Amino acid sequence: MRRRPGIGGLQTAAAARDQYKKLGENVAKTRTDMMREQLSTFRSQLEDFARKHKNDIRKNPAFRSQFHEMCAKVGVDPLASNKGFWAELLGIGDFYYELGVQIVDICLATRPLNGGLINLQELCQLLRQRRKSDRGVVSEDDCLRAISKLKVLGSGFEVISVGKKKLVRSVPTELNKDHNEILELAQGQGFVTVDEVERRLSWTSGRAIDALDTLLDEGLAMIDDGHKDGKRRYWFPCVSPISSLTGIDSL
Amino acid sequence: MQKLGEFKLPHFFNYPPYFTLQPVRDTREKQIQLWKELILDYCKTQKLFVIALEEEFPLFTNTVIERSLTNEAREAFLSALVSEGRAEWMDKGHRKCLILWHRIQDWADILLQFAKDNGLEDGVVTIEEIRFGTESQGTELHGIDRTILNRALKLLEQKGKLVVFKGTSTDDEGIKFSV
Repeated sequence: MRRRPGIGGLQTAAAARDQYKKLGENVAKTRTDMMREQLSTFRSQLEDFARKHKNDIRKNPAFRSQFHEMCAKVGVDPLASNKGFWAELLGIGDFYYELGVQIVDICLATRPLNGGLINLQELCQLLRQRRKSDRGVVSEDDCLRAISKLKVLGSGFEVISVGKKKLVRSVPTELNKDHNEILELAQGQGFVTVDEVERRLSWTSGRAIDALDTLLDEGLAMIDDGHKDGKRRYWFPCVSPISSLTGIDSL
Repeated sequence: MQKLGEFKLPHFFNYPPYFTLQPVRDTREKQIQLWKELILDYCKTQKLFVIALEEEFPLFTNTVIERSLTNEAREAFLSALVSEGRAEWMDKGHRKCLILWHRIQDWADILLQFAKDNGLEDGVVTIEEIRFGTESQGTELHGIDRTILNRALKLLEQKGKLVVFKGTSTDDEGIKFSV
């Protein structure tokens, strides 16, 4: 476009800028519209799917897990609110809410025994025992989802990985790397000795004792001085196999 | 689940650290609570009334996991029961402990119920009959510890529910109810 001098020229330039701007906005709008339409198509297809397979979603944990993945891909979170389409259709908002409440209960009940750290497997087992009569199996995946919702409440619930296992933490205790390594070491036999920690992790005696004392103070470890070899053992209830220790037979 | 005779042992009994008195307060409190319940439960089902600390008491040792409660731990758990009024030391040295899996007041109530059930409201019965007689068979009174029975009788005597009178020997001691 040829620049014309004077006020006329300025006005033309301004008009041209405006037009480009509008064109740009239009293009953007078209793109957004297209995206919205696509998304909306996905969503309605997902809704149809959910309606059709409502029962399967409710009863089958593997199916439920895959359904969640599908939703995630399309940016839909069926658990996002307890009201609205998803919660009403599937009632699964309630399902996870209920699980969450039961999980909190179980964690609180076992806290005096394990210091607020519980093996995910054990938690699921206790959960299943509680829900025996209930509508369908509860999987570890379900537990994890319910716990992630609990996190949103800022309740201090978190899942941490220690070695190959997952532990659910229900207290604000911060576990540092040293603590984690000890927990992982303890998974072998359910306990560790100071010697073992020093040897296997190549730590100084001071570092080992410090870490173990903290874990003891937090209620995550218990001492055992009863072995005939006279060595003190530090046991960790949260890594011991299920039902080897809880004094609570049914929650 | 492990058993001691017919008695079902709780899971914690198989976890070695529970046989060591825990240093951390919260953990120790939980430990003491579990042991208190176990001791009372066991004594009730086995009808045991006295625990002698230095003697072999089945609950204090778990041979499967090779752990045994130290004297300190034993005394700690029993002292906790004493504080709660569910046990009494029988000597100053804390070597023998009377276990009140029923409190004395509860035993007194059981005695009164026994009197009612057997039409003894104004009747007479010997100590021997209460402890080993046919009427008491099948009730909790059967085989009751002498010391505990005496305490319950004293309590009821104070309330005027009965009178204890002596016979020619201690086993002839009798009770006249006036319920």
